Amino acid sequence: MAIDPVYLDHAATTPVREEVFEAMKPFYGPRFGNPSSTHRWGREARAALDEARERVGRCLGARADEICFTSGGTEADNLAILGAWRLLKAKGRKAILATPIEHKAILGAVHQAAHEGAEERFVNMTADGVVDRASFDKLFDDDVAVCSIMWVNNEIGTIQPIPELASKAKESGALFHTDAVQAFGKVTIDAQKQPFDFLTISGHKFGAPKGIGALFIRRGVHLEPLMHGGSQDRGRRPGTENVAAAVGLARAAELTIAECEAHCAAMEKLRDKLEAGILAKVPDAVIHGRGVPRAPHVTNVSVPGTDSESLLMALDLRGIACSGGSACQSGSIEPSHVLSAIGVRPDLASAAVRMSLGALTTEKSIDRVIEVFPSLVAKARQMATAE
Amino acid sequence: MTRERVLVAMSGGVDSSVAAAMLVEQGYDVVGATMKLFCHGDDVPDRPCCSLDSVNDARRVCEQLGIPHYVLNLESRFGHDVVDNFVEEYARGRTPIPCVRCNTFTKFRDFLKKADAIDARWIATGHYARVLNGELLRGVDENKDQTYFLWGIDRTVLSRLILPVGGLDKAQTRARAHAMGLEVIADKPESQEICFVPDGDYARILEQRLPADAPALSRGPIVTSRGVIVGEHNGFARYTIGQRRGVPGGFAVPMYVVAIRPEQRAVVIGTRDELLGNGLIAREVNWLADRPKLGESVSVRVRHRAPLARGEIVRLAGDELEIALDEPVSAITPGQSVVLYAGERVLGGGFIESARQKRTSLPVLAA
Repeated sequence: MAIDPVYLDHAATTPVREEVFEAMKPFYGPRFGNPSSTHRWGREARAALDEARERVGRCLGARADEICFTSGGTEADNLAILGAWRLLKAKGRKAILATPIEHKAILGAVHQAAHEGAEERFVNMTADGVVDRASFDKLFDDDVAVCSIMWVNNEIGTIQPIPELASKAKESGALFHTDAVQAFGKVTIDAQKQPFDFLTISGHKFGAPKGIGALFIRRGVHLEPLMHGGSQDRGRRPGTENVAAAVGLARAAELTIAECEAHCAAMEKLRDKLEAGILAKVPDAVIHGRGVPRAPHVTNVSVPGTDSESLLMALDLRGIACSGGSACQSGSIEPSHVLSAIGVRPDLASAAVRMSLGALTTEKSIDRVIEVFPSLVAKARQMATAE
Repeated sequence: MTRERVLVAMSGGVDSSVAAAMLVEQGYDVVGATMKLFCHGDDVPDRPCCSLDSVNDARRVCEQLGIPHYVLNLESRFGHDVVDNFVEEYARGRTPIPCVRCNTFTKFRDFLKKADAIDARWIATGHYARVLNGELLRGVDENKDQTYFLWGIDRTVLSRLILPVGGLDKAQTRARAHAMGLEVIADKPESQEICFVPDGDYARILEQRLPADAPALSRGPIVTSRGVIVGEHNGFARYTIGQRRGVPGGFAVPMYVVAIRPEQRAVVIGTRDELLGNGLIAREVNWLADRPKLGESVSVRVRHRAPLARGEIVRLAGDELEIALDEPVSAITPGQSVVLYAGERVLGGGFIESARQKRTSLPVLAA
């Protein structure tokens, strides 16, 4: 292909940054030690791990002991929900409150808790994809053990008022978790000022490798570990720590925070250009969540009379990588639970294409999408009417 | 010159994998796609088709061939067009043939739309059949020929269809797979069963989808063609014409299921002679060549792998067709297909509505 390919799927994953890769290298070489060992090699690894913990903590306004490294977002989400709920159910609080637009990692963990006796409560969403405050207040009572609300939605980018919702949860004595996998580097996160108890981040969404993430666990908040074994991470997460990845996570987090403002402004500008460009040529395209605060890197567009499966294939064959709803195990695209939950018509939900911007996005690549996407749409619609 | 694009339906089996590989060799711009038609969940790991492993095999083959691979979710359409019909047919006392409807609706209609979406001039599959000058021909391997399942496709599809393995026999296809280094799939077993029926137990699918008190799954009489009740069965949907299993013994000659009468919930048994039919009526007839004339003599096949028989077209009305057979044919089964050939050319086909036992027609099987 003569034309440069366009990667517009940064919400799925991002390339590992060169600086991050460099920072990790020594730990695949001479500094290979096990941080639990007492000898020199172990001490070196331990020092790097402790430092990484501190550095990640600083990026979140947290202390080192509040950072628990995990294998990624899914593990952190599960640890927060199930770990907290399993402890709290003994105290008689039975309910878990979440939104229906959470990531599958949260929904799956909540369903598991329900298997173990929890009462699931799902808050209503507005058509724009934010929490319906009246519904939230109505569902919140003293029975709620854990409340989990994602900060930035991975499919449509809408931002929830997390500090406000967390305060409400704290008033009634519930633990509050937020999945900030898409939020990190896009919204201001400060554990000192914002009263959440748990917060999930995932490295590969911001330039660290896959297989590393972290759960912020506020000092004094307890949870039951998911795994059993050694005493690593205060017993919260047994298993030899992935030192190299933790160091990579720290480096990526620091870079992300340092560049946050400039990066977000640039993404927002490109995202707005992309949306305007599409709307100019496809005036009836629906951009989900457009009326509320959104993270700058995600846009999700449905064009009536098209289907996302065909569009994604056609885009990919033109060198443009986007995504649909969530892919199932086989790789086929399932209708998006997020769009259904915010009341999007099924025909529009099955036409949704998510484009997510990031490090690889340039003005040129956006121009190309603005040129190609509407032409594919026009063709798809022509075929649909020819039937 | 830009290469012509072809979208290949890849099941993860040897035939469609070799088909894709041959097209790559021939210089096409090949795109592979696996149709996800139903979901077994995680509990059927070793199904030959449509399971996760099959999708993975197709993906690995594409990776090896250096071509893109996609999974197309056609579950709801397949469920409606194929699985629902499968259940309805059994409920009506017929023996359906879901592969025909899958080809007609799913593989060669829905799939073609996906090809349109990516500007693919061609579609291809791993079927053992050939397309020549806009006509469909039987596969070179008579033993593997799959035209029996292909008569229902839209005639216009033929101008966009490539069937790369139709000129090979199965052994040659496997040899090609080895020669091209497709070891992942080269020795995969054949899939003979219906893909959405795990372990071949189709009655279980009916039990899942029909109400518990459905007549098709309820007890009824087993009767002889003279109307004598000789036993009881546990649901006529568990029987098909020509079947011996589940038929009561104690007769002087072997007895077979010769008819199913859903309105009486009856399974009718009779002798081998009573299975013979001298003609048939078919519906939903589709032509893949110019419509033949009344009185024309054709070759017909009334069951997959059954030998070809000769017959004469004695009635043509709308999408209905009647054939008088030169020699009697055994076990002509409502719901199965009849396919008409002129030499190796497929003329068309239809779904068997009923068999004609004799011109003077016996009441048992009269339409």
